[in-house]
Amino acid sequence: MRRALVTLLLMALMAGFGFGINRFLAARRTSEVTAHSVNRPTQTVAIFTLPGTLYLAQQGDIFKLNGGRFTDLDLPSNGSWMQPAIVPGTNDIVAVLRSAAYSDLYLIDSRGQVLQQLSHNAVTKSIIQNNHWMFWPRMASDGSTIYVSYDEPKTSASYRVDFAIWKGTLNGQLAGREQTVPFNYTGGDVSATPLPDGSILYAKYQVSGITVFSQLALQTRPLAQPVFLTDSASDCGQPAVSPDATQVAMICAGGTGLQSTRLVVAGLQAHKLVSPRVLVDNCLCSAPTWAPDGSGVVYYAPADSTGHFQLWWIEGAGSATPKAARQVTLNLDFDALSPPAWSGPSASAEAAATATPG
Amino acid sequence: MVSRPRASLYRRRARRRIWLSILVVFGFALSGVAGAFVYFLPAIRVAFADTGHTIQRSAPRPSSASPGLSVATTQQPTAAPAVPAPSQPFTVLLLGSDNDSKFASESVLTQSMILARVDPVSKHVVMLSIPRDLFVPLYSGGTDKIDKAYSRGGANAAVQTVENDFGIHVDHYAWIGLLGLVRLIDSVGGIDVVASNPVLDDFYPADVISANPYAYERVAVLPGPQHMNGLEALQYVRSRHGDLRSDFGRSQRQQQVLLALRAKAKLLGLADLPDIANAMASQFLTDMTIPQVAALLPIASNVTLGNVQQVILSPPYSSSAQIGAQDVLLPNWDLILPEVHKFFPRA
Repeated sequence: MRRALVTLLLMALMAGFGFGINRFLAARRTSEVTAHSVNRPTQTVAIFTLPGTLYLAQQGDIFKLNGGRFTDLDLPSNGSWMQPAIVPGTNDIVAVLRSAAYSDLYLIDSRGQVLQQLSHNAVTKSIIQNNHWMFWPRMASDGSTIYVSYDEPKTSASYRVDFAIWKGTLNGQLAGREQTVPFNYTGGDVSATPLPDGSILYAKYQVSGITVFSQLALQTRPLAQPVFLTDSASDCGQPAVSPDATQVAMICAGGTGLQSTRLVVAGLQAHKLVSPRVLVDNCLCSAPTWAPDGSGVVYYAPADSTGHFQLWWIEGAGSATPKAARQVTLNLDFDALSPPAWSGPSASAEAAATATPG
Repeated sequence: MVSRPRASLYRRRARRRIWLSILVVFGFALSGVAGAFVYFLPAIRVAFADTGHTIQRSAPRPSSASPGLSVATTQQPTAAPAVPAPSQPFTVLLLGSDNDSKFASESVLTQSMILARVDPVSKHVVMLSIPRDLFVPLYSGGTDKIDKAYSRGGANAAVQTVENDFGIHVDHYAWIGLLGLVRLIDSVGGIDVVASNPVLDDFYPADVISANPYAYERVAVLPGPQHMNGLEALQYVRSRHGDLRSDFGRSQRQQQVLLALRAKAKLLGLADLPDIANAMASQFLTDMTIPQVAALLPIASNVTLGNVQQVILSPPYSSSAQIGAQDVLLPNWDLILPEVHKFFPRA
């Protein structure tokens, strides 16, 4: 009897061992390892605290990072939320809700309450190409003027779908007036950033031969010829202008075979870029954003081969001696196509407040 | 002092214990092997089903450089050329198909044709995209777009069309269907891509997500570095309606995604084989044997980007034209052949 029990127990253990080997192998799959290396931001804390409040998108949700802790804005889950932008002078943000065939902009308060649907780009008709995309919202400092990339209304049956930069107001027509003329069949003009003098800086896609590239373009008047601030070989895009409008951070991919990028910062003087400095080379850097006081730049880049984008910080990015990049988050997977939105207080004010006893 | 019979009893017991221990260890080992075997079974099954599909080469055909010549259709299989040693440079024809329900499974078009020359010693790779609309003599007879070669005779016809038209020898082929690509990318946990530009398409085929093979959808792949899953990567490499460069832009994106996949190949281990096998099941065919595929993987993962040369046969190598109701690309063989033979030895 005892022997039979021992035999049965051993056989059960052997079967368990075989099953264990099977599951051990399954757990070692790259897809499994990669998937399990991602947490929801609310399950983690930042490695160190950045001042102010950042809004970041991960896997279709927008999270608020404040004091090193993440809060889920808990927005309605009827699409993917992305590309938050601060509304100056308020605690609100504008964000994109992307659906399968269109995307719309929404005004959202800092607690995640949807205040208003700003655009209506969906059509109920079965003509799918009558839907519209709207991406990269960016507010001017007046807190009302908004710039977006919008695929213009189609006037004829055509395959052409290109983004142009459109200007509107939060309380009026969102895509009120077209600002740029896209290069046809390239994808067009994206990532508009308003400058204090009323001009806009954006990334313009163009084609030469069979090479497609992006150049930073500056436009002072609607539909005028743009002034190019970077050359075609550098293939630069994603411009981010410092709060004092004296520095531009950008992402360039020229010469990398589109297998990597570099984070570059240059001075902005009289509508020209001067003294470009490569802050991070040979990375998959994306979405640079300046601190509200201009003390540095955050950006996204993978920290390992899983390809999941983490948040990084470079203090003094605009200075001649920037500090080394520091990783801010671990095991997250930010949407690299959604630049963070960052609102004050300023880093220096917070540092002063921290240093002041009582 | 222990008596002799008792000592013998102890010895017998000790021997029995040793045997029992060996039996238990063997049982555990067998159980472990069985667990691993069950885990790898799909990979083994697929590996045997999808690899080793030898190219049935026929007698040489007239070269494509003389497109006016008629092409006989009798096929007389000849012995397959010797497989190059693992250290010798070799040429692989990579074929990608829209294997959706618009077509019978055995008569799909190849929307992607990439000739790759791999030198295992110098770890140098050349990738040459053959435009799908290139109007060439087909091995199966007649002149048509090169993407129809596969649909009119499978891999044999595609390989021999390329061999005859370009005057080169293809050592191996590998064919992958759309779903196979999607699943392959998902099985490696996605790929990291710097999207070259906004890839916008209002008439993107929705055949992968819809039961209607003629349905279409809107896609917008936004530019910049990003982590793509299989479906997103497919949209990136497949869309062409909104691209001024049409198929040439798409060819560039296809090569880019291949390189991104190569980067992920470095992460793969034995445990990934069943996932990859499942991804490839009925979506992958090659004439390579399992050891040949296994020998290729380290080469692929060891090639550095600087050692990869990408070639696209854009104008002036080809020019647009309309033949019948078809938009085609007419090859300029006087330019194409010298360019191709720089990287791919003449047959």
